[in-house]
Amino acid sequence: MTENNRSSAAGRNAAIESEERIRRIKAKSGKPVIGYLCCFAPPEIISAAGAIPYRIMGRPGEDNSAADAYVEPYGCTYVRNILARAVRGELDFLDGLVISHSCDMVQRLYGIWTYYHPLPYSYMFNVPHQVSPWAQDFFKRELGFFQESLEKFTGHDIDPDSLKDTLTAYNLNRSLVRELYALRKENPPLVKGSEILDLLIDGGTLPPEDFTALLREKLAEAKLRSRLGGKGPRIMVWGSVMDDPALLLIIEEAGGRVVADDTCIGFRVWEKDVPLTDDLYTGLTEHYFINFQCPRTDRGPGVGRFDYLLQRAREYNIDGVVGYCISFCDPHKFDYPDLRDYLRKEGLPLLLVDDNYSFEPAGSLKTRLQAFMEMI
Amino acid sequence: MSQSEMSRAKRHLETTRKMKEMLPRFFMRQMERRFSGSEPLAWCMVGVPPELLKAFDLLFEWPENFGTMCASRLVAPRFIEVAEGDGYSQELCSYVTNTMGYCKLTKEGGEPPEESPLPGGMGTPSMMLGSGFICEPRWKWFQSIATRFFDVPVYSSDPLAPPWDIDPRDPRIEEHYLSLLREDLAGQIAFMEKHTGRKLDLDLLRETLALSHEALGYWRDTLALRKAVPCPMGSTDYFHSIIPQMYLVGDREAVDFYREMYEEVKDRVDRGVGIVEEEKYRLIWFGLPPWFNMGIFNYLESLGAVVAYESTYNVGDYFEVDLSDPLEALVRRTWQRAVKMHDYGSETMPELCNPAVFGGFSGSSLLDELVGEYSLNGALMHLTRSCRAVSFGEVHTKNRLAGLGVPSLIFESDMADPRLWSDAQIKTRLHAFLETMDKAAGGGKIND
Ligand code: SF4
Ligand code: SF4
Repeated sequence: MTENNRSSAAGRNAAIESEERIRRIKAKSGKPVIGYLCCFAPPEIISAAGAIPYRIMGRPGEDNSAADAYVEPYGCTYVRNILARAVRGELDFLDGLVISHSCDMVQRLYGIWTYYHPLPYSYMFNVPHQVSPWAQDFFKRELGFFQESLEKFTGHDIDPDSLKDTLTAYNLNRSLVRELYALRKENPPLVKGSEILDLLIDGGTLPPEDFTALLREKLAEAKLRSRLGGKGPRIMVWGSVMDDPALLLIIEEAGGRVVADDTCIGFRVWEKDVPLTDDLYTGLTEHYFINFQCPRTDRGPGVGRFDYLLQRAREYNIDGVVGYCISFCDPHKFDYPDLRDYLRKEGLPLLLVDDNYSFEPAGSLKTRLQAFMEMI
Repeated sequence: MSQSEMSRAKRHLETTRKMKEMLPRFFMRQMERRFSGSEPLAWCMVGVPPELLKAFDLLFEWPENFGTMCASRLVAPRFIEVAEGDGYSQELCSYVTNTMGYCKLTKEGGEPPEESPLPGGMGTPSMMLGSGFICEPRWKWFQSIATRFFDVPVYSSDPLAPPWDIDPRDPRIEEHYLSLLREDLAGQIAFMEKHTGRKLDLDLLRETLALSHEALGYWRDTLALRKAVPCPMGSTDYFHSIIPQMYLVGDREAVDFYREMYEEVKDRVDRGVGIVEEEKYRLIWFGLPPWFNMGIFNYLESLGAVVAYESTYNVGDYFEVDLSDPLEALVRRTWQRAVKMHDYGSETMPELCNPAVFGGFSGSSLLDELVGEYSLNGALMHLTRSCRAVSFGEVHTKNRLAGLGVPSLIFESDMADPRLWSDAQIKTRLHAFLETMDKAAGGGKIND
């Protein structure tokens, strides 16, 4: 068994556990579970409507052939992997599905999935590609339509107070996650990147209160730690969605310290609180649309669109960036050359890892990463 | 890939052959203006209404179409390789990577590379007008060019449409989308006014729309004539005759072109003239064509196969719109097309509200109609590796067609990158597919 197989196996066990757990929670609470992909449709609204939001995860490296009867072989392997899982019936605990119009692949998955495997509830949350004032208005209206559709499904009306309570509960988790991230500003960091990602994966699949408890436990334990091993190059990971710690583990094995990231499920989701504005939709629009840093949203030409990353790199005292692109991931692959050049000018090297959502072959990945660590 | 594997297309219609004189005339006119002063020039994407460009009397280029020209002259690989050297993955849209390589060589050499297909290449842009209506790459394309090569302002329009399971006739939904379309168009116009220094001439826009609708009406009627057996017009004519829609729509010249084309095709129908001697197979084509090897359609014809309908670039239904308010007319045209597609049940491409590309959406009741009306008995699906946007849905469409008893072949290559073309292998597969169609017609079973 290669080391990476070991890493993926750890990720896989956690994923299996999270699915068993959600079945238990669902049975106990009697609430419907609504799966979602991407971060534009707020899970808070799902929660406030009396359902349990569940971030759907793939199983990297697993056979995707079950998807072949419905979609072409060319396309994001992460999305194909999730469709294969749905086809195999592995996601049968879902009562509903919410897909946001993020990238092409995810958006089109919606049609195929709901056509062949309809669920009791499904909604495609439409999202403009720019943050112009009229696009913001559209997003706000879309929030309203989304809320209505959920209320209709669950029979549970959402009043502003209960939505505010839910947002507060989620914001608490955001601040705890940020506290955890801050422990990595130390050198060497007090928490490993792979540990945090494991936790965040749990966070996507747990009701917020349960996640709060987990986070508190981890924080208390981590704060008591003395230094974690020796110093090593401080790495930020940027790129496609990451719902398995395999790559982070390989970086760590190669001597790197993953101290920051810009990925989905990672910091993109937890970086800021949802502002509790008088009209809650205004805050939600700000958080989930205007400020949400996904390269699928057009922020105009120029490298200014990467400034937030540079700022983060400075804040976490980064030595180098590892870019992670899943095959056929247009939004990230298009940004790579511009980002690489921008970071290079700032003295930050960027190593690109192209992956077909398997993190294999782990051996050569590790060798490349080792060479990169030595170089920086 | 060796270049000898690629073949140029033979066109069947006089009208489309005549384009070879008509388009250079257009390009020369543009060139003269380009060199006569410092007129603004926009790089545009399909989805930007050509009528608007015309109403601003704005010089323009279509990098997408430039990509098809580079592909057909086999210079695209050179440009694409330059982009790959810059870090652009081979998986990315080859129209985009073609432009990225072209821009890089232009910047480095101080002038467009000499192998550029257009005389003098594309003019240097002073602004870019994008449209994100089909795919993600179109959002990144102009952003990257303006970041790396030409520091010019960009406006991309964003015509969203309702997902397939949302009722577009619900007045609240209609307003939700229409208000976005209206404001988006207003934003586009404000941008154009600012960067051209010209005011939009509404009367000219109205006139242009009237002319463009007249031309598109002839085009729609021409396509309908292809229901005839034998089919009077094939794919080589079809794919080439979309070009005037980008360059000349809104001109009298375009109306004349499409009228003549209609008359020529009508005459062929009246006389029972097909494009192959013995029409054995009537096919529907999905996806973008391999622009570097359009002769593949002639190869099919040599086997008795004719393509009677193409899913891509099909402008679809023609809509009467009230031109008294030409801006509202533009909005309504987009919306009506979206609703129409919605009515067909566009399961896989909910956003596709501009019917220029049907690919991938056709897993809908439209297929049933097409198969019957065009007497189709087989489907060819070009799975373009670097354009997933248009090929997405082919497997789904194949499933739907199988339900109608129509066999399909999905084969893989690319629209602009000939390195992904394997001539012998693809021809063998096409040939074998037609043979299985024979067997099926004789009561055999089709398993492709
Ligand atoms: S990895 Fe890329 S292509 Fe895949 S779902 Fe995410 S953004 Fe889309
Ligand atoms: S639709 Fe396809 S060919 Fe056109 S820009 Fe998008 S990816 Fe490229």
